[in-house]
Amino acid sequence: MIVCSTAFTELGGIQARALGHPDLPIAVVAHPFGIRTRDEIRQMAVTCADDIARLICGAGSTTVPVTDRASSAARAKLIDVPADPGEFNRLFQERSWSDGLPLIPPTAARVAAMLQHARRAPDELVATIAPAFGMATVERIAINAVMAGCYPEYLPVLLAAAEAIAAPEFNLQGIQATTGPVAVWLILNGPVARQLGVNSGGNCLGPGAWPNATLGRAIRLIQQNIGGALAGGMDRATQGQPGKYTFCCAENEDANSWEPLHVERGFARDSSTVTVAGAAGTTNMNTHAKDAVDLLRVVADTMTFPAGSDYTFGGEPWLVLAPEHAHILKREGLSKADVKRRLWEQARLAARRLSAKDFARVQAGRRAELGEIGLDTLLPISVKPDDINFIVAGGPGTHSVYVPGMGHVRSVTRQVA
Amino acid sequence: MSNSMLAYEPIAPAGKAPQQLRHTLDSLAGKVVGFVDNAKPNFNHLVDEIAELLIHKYGVAEVVKHRKRGQVPVGDAVMNELAAKCHAVIAGSGD
Repeated sequence: MIVCSTAFTELGGIQARALGHPDLPIAVVAHPFGIRTRDEIRQMAVTCADDIARLICGAGSTTVPVTDRASSAARAKLIDVPADPGEFNRLFQERSWSDGLPLIPPTAARVAAMLQHARRAPDELVATIAPAFGMATVERIAINAVMAGCYPEYLPVLLAAAEAIAAPEFNLQGIQATTGPVAVWLILNGPVARQLGVNSGGNCLGPGAWPNATLGRAIRLIQQNIGGALAGGMDRATQGQPGKYTFCCAENEDANSWEPLHVERGFARDSSTVTVAGAAGTTNMNTHAKDAVDLLRVVADTMTFPAGSDYTFGGEPWLVLAPEHAHILKREGLSKADVKRRLWEQARLAARRLSAKDFARVQAGRRAELGEIGLDTLLPISVKPDDINFIVAGGPGTHSVYVPGMGHVRSVTRQVA
Repeated sequence: MSNSMLAYEPIAPAGKAPQQLRHTLDSLAGKVVGFVDNAKPNFNHLVDEIAELLIHKYGVAEVVKHRKRGQVPVGDAVMNELAAKCHAVIAGSGD
């Protein structure tokens, strides 16, 4: 059985059903719970313990008929929808199939055109998408890609991205059901980025480029419609962030004189890859620093803030380095490993900067990694330097971007077929 | 011109069909109860308090506690250990 606070009871029930346990007992405590005093917790525990006893020893056996597992080969269903675009979008909004922006109707013709770009059968299972573990077949991914406005040739990227987000180390379950604002960020490398016109230059994280806009949107629709993480349902983000509409770019490999991300991760330079990363937001770093020491100091200072999940668990923070900033570092002979090492050493947070509760969480959560943690401990932002990642992207200008992570999320790179 | 057209539903069946749950317990007396602490603020304190109550008021024989390292699923090894040892397992969910 589970215990959760009143604000999360619906999530608990939804996820229990999604995991095949619709009658899982739930004991409830009042929300907010995390801010209660010890005396209040002691009083709440009395009622909660009685509820637990009642629920565990409750109404006899619970028998839910065991049904055959839904066939992953089941094809998607065609339904009657209004032909009028406004009415079509109203229907999909009412059914919680929309992200709040106008959709392209996934007609049979459009989906068939999309499927021409998959070298796989439409009913082939690509991945199961947490937290509902929905079956993402090639066809269902294509349907959501059409809705997002993707062109058919984008499908191979989304098939690879769906596999990537379902990798255990990515922890999609944590991303989808968190109160945090984490978005899935797609980073493209290799020839496919150029072939599809994925923007890696000016405004690469902003509007204007069709593939940037629609690829990121498609993966969000897949998370929602196949993975079941509806805003306010299993998606419990307190505020969320704009990046949850779309967050996609390519690395500016022309402006990057280091090895690009996919080569760093063991892929051939001429291969095409998509990397999925957990992005908790973006912070602009506008600095006119002209040497590596000054630049890295300012970047490290930006990364070091006490209300970030990366310090709580040892995370995977990211940077998008402007070409001009990357040039400064490369000009002084720094390798990517050098940059990561220096940032890891300089972006340490004094534990006393944490709130008392957060300090206690860090003590418990990182004891195995760091030993006993005191107020004077300098916490590294990640377990090791190599967990700090960066790409070179953007146009002219002295703006780089800090992208904090979500602690237990690890990016995954997959080849695009 | 038709007022309607055909389009695909974008949703998917869940991968987990409804399971048959275990029978509920006749009582807690003499039983082993496990807790999965999801490491959210205060849940460890609630677990400690509830554990004491289950032992002293309901006769639970033993309490086993596992605290997660944040928002990652409990591993199979821990799950199997809890399943082998405990008559019931209580997990924290959400904040």
